[in-house]
Amino acid sequence: MSTKISPEIVIEGLRKSYSRGAETVDVFEGLDLKFAAGDFVALMGPSGSGKSTLLNVVGGLDRADSGRVRVGDTDVTSLRGDALSAWRSRHVGFIFQAFNLIPVLTAKENVELPLLLQPLNAKQRSEQADYALEIVGLADRAKHRPSALSGGQEQRVAIARAIATDPDVILADEPTGDLDRQSADAVLELLARLSKDLGKTVLMVTHDPAAAAFARQTLYLEKGIFVERSAT
Amino acid sequence: MSLFRLIRRNVMRHPVRSLLTLGAALVAMFLLVFLRSVLTTLDDSVKSVATNRIVTQSAVSLFVNLPASYQPKIEGIEGVESVCRFQWFGGVYKEPQNFFAQFAVDPETMLAQYDECQIPADQAAAFKADRRGCIIGETLAERFGWKIGDRVPILGTIFTKEGAWEFDVRGIYRSERANFDAGTMYFHFDYLDEMLESEKAEGPRGVGVFIVKLSDEADPVAVSDAIDALFAGGPQRTRTQTEAAFQAGFITMLGNVPSFLGWIGGAVFFALALTLINAMLISSSERIRDTGVMKALGFSNRTCGLVYLGESLLLSLTGGLLGLGLGYLTVQPMRQTLGSTPGIALPFYDVRTDTAVMAVAAALLIGLLAGIAPALRAARLDPAEALRAEV
Repeated sequence: MSTKISPEIVIEGLRKSYSRGAETVDVFEGLDLKFAAGDFVALMGPSGSGKSTLLNVVGGLDRADSGRVRVGDTDVTSLRGDALSAWRSRHVGFIFQAFNLIPVLTAKENVELPLLLQPLNAKQRSEQADYALEIVGLADRAKHRPSALSGGQEQRVAIARAIATDPDVILADEPTGDLDRQSADAVLELLARLSKDLGKTVLMVTHDPAAAAFARQTLYLEKGIFVERSAT
Repeated sequence: MSLFRLIRRNVMRHPVRSLLTLGAALVAMFLLVFLRSVLTTLDDSVKSVATNRIVTQSAVSLFVNLPASYQPKIEGIEGVESVCRFQWFGGVYKEPQNFFAQFAVDPETMLAQYDECQIPADQAAAFKADRRGCIIGETLAERFGWKIGDRVPILGTIFTKEGAWEFDVRGIYRSERANFDAGTMYFHFDYLDEMLESEKAEGPRGVGVFIVKLSDEADPVAVSDAIDALFAGGPQRTRTQTEAAFQAGFITMLGNVPSFLGWIGGAVFFALALTLINAMLISSSERIRDTGVMKALGFSNRTCGLVYLGESLLLSLTGGLLGLGLGYLTVQPMRQTLGSTPGIALPFYDVRTDTAVMAVAAALLIGLLAGIAPALRAARLDPAEALRAEV
């Protein structure tokens, strides 16, 4: 895992709307934001404020209607199809509330999955997956399937999967939403360490102020508008 | 870890469902292989007949005898080398389920006409010399454990007499071609005739069919026409055809079995395709979120689709190859069973290479058909939507 300088994330004039039946719901109507390289930012706000949508647009899972999202030198909004997938595989690691591990694969195989997209041989993939599991403290659970792990362990495997490819940006959508306090704190400490020690830019959506306290700063969104930024 | 391992693990995600689907593919593919092999064996038996033999039967039906007096008249036609009398005996060995074919023939002529009937010279001579002697095919000998010198009692059903007919096994022949059944018994026509003549036995007189061997330069169509023209005025009109046409006619007498088997094969193919399509659609519906995760990790739309296509192909090919394997494994038992089945004797039943290729191609096609819809669905899936899916 390298300590390379992560890129800054710049959002300019982001517009995004959804169709809900006949109705069109505007999520962002010209959002401007900037995240410093290597920052650990908590995104808070009520449901429907656009937190998860912002993560998805930054990670290229969702498309902006207009505006620009730049990650380092890359204009993510201009990428399409395979180019966007390839960029995501190299630069972004996702962590989800529901862990979203592939249930038929072991912990190590889950971590190795994104490494299939990297120019690595089988031995290198295996070593890198072992290292990622070591970072999250689960080397001894490598051969366990997700069903044999606790919620906290599953999320740590998901973090290992997210960092296995050594991405610049980690996007975590409610990573502690399904965890007890103790497990949640372990996961949050890990994310803080990834930002502090490895220089990853971490954007984390959360409803939990205790979780946000682990971030270097917290950003509040309401109805798609950035309303407040506070250092923690 | 490889993409193939993911495909393999996904296939076994629901082991019971996958095993049932595999079982369906196995049985269906075995049926396809079996049905096609029956067809190809029937076809081979028609194609392997000699081109220098023609068959003269009653124009009314195969079950109506011709007068024995026709033999010398047919022998007198130009291009005819020899004429052999054949009479279906229809007897039973002990029990009806022990059925096998028996024919009364002219031994000398029959053995000369059928070079595919391989029998040692001493056994052939012993058969010719013994009026109550018979020869049996090696399949028949194996079936009942008969050997040379055994006396075989046969209960007549068409030709009846007090007690059983008794034949002494004088030879065991081997068949060299698919058209000649090794599960049959041949005995002296003269013995049958003598018993009927002396009224020691009862049954229809005459000859079932005449097998006519042609000289090298003879035209089968011209000789056939000449024979039929000779008896056009009666007392029994004849119908003469090549042995191939005669064999093919036998097959169609089974109720157009080839076409029927073909339809069953087609139905089996579509039933399997529908089963696999159903299984794959259920599987893909359950894994929308997994597909979203793969896309979030950076897998392309094409790769996500290929995973589903791979699973479908893996299921259908595994089932198909297992079914094909079962087809090969059952060749011997099928030969024994079909070789002694009345009316559809297929002692040369075999799974041809082109059948195996067809089975693999069918499995591939079914795999592609079943995988294409889930693959397209996965490829088109919006990753953000997929990650929000409740399944």
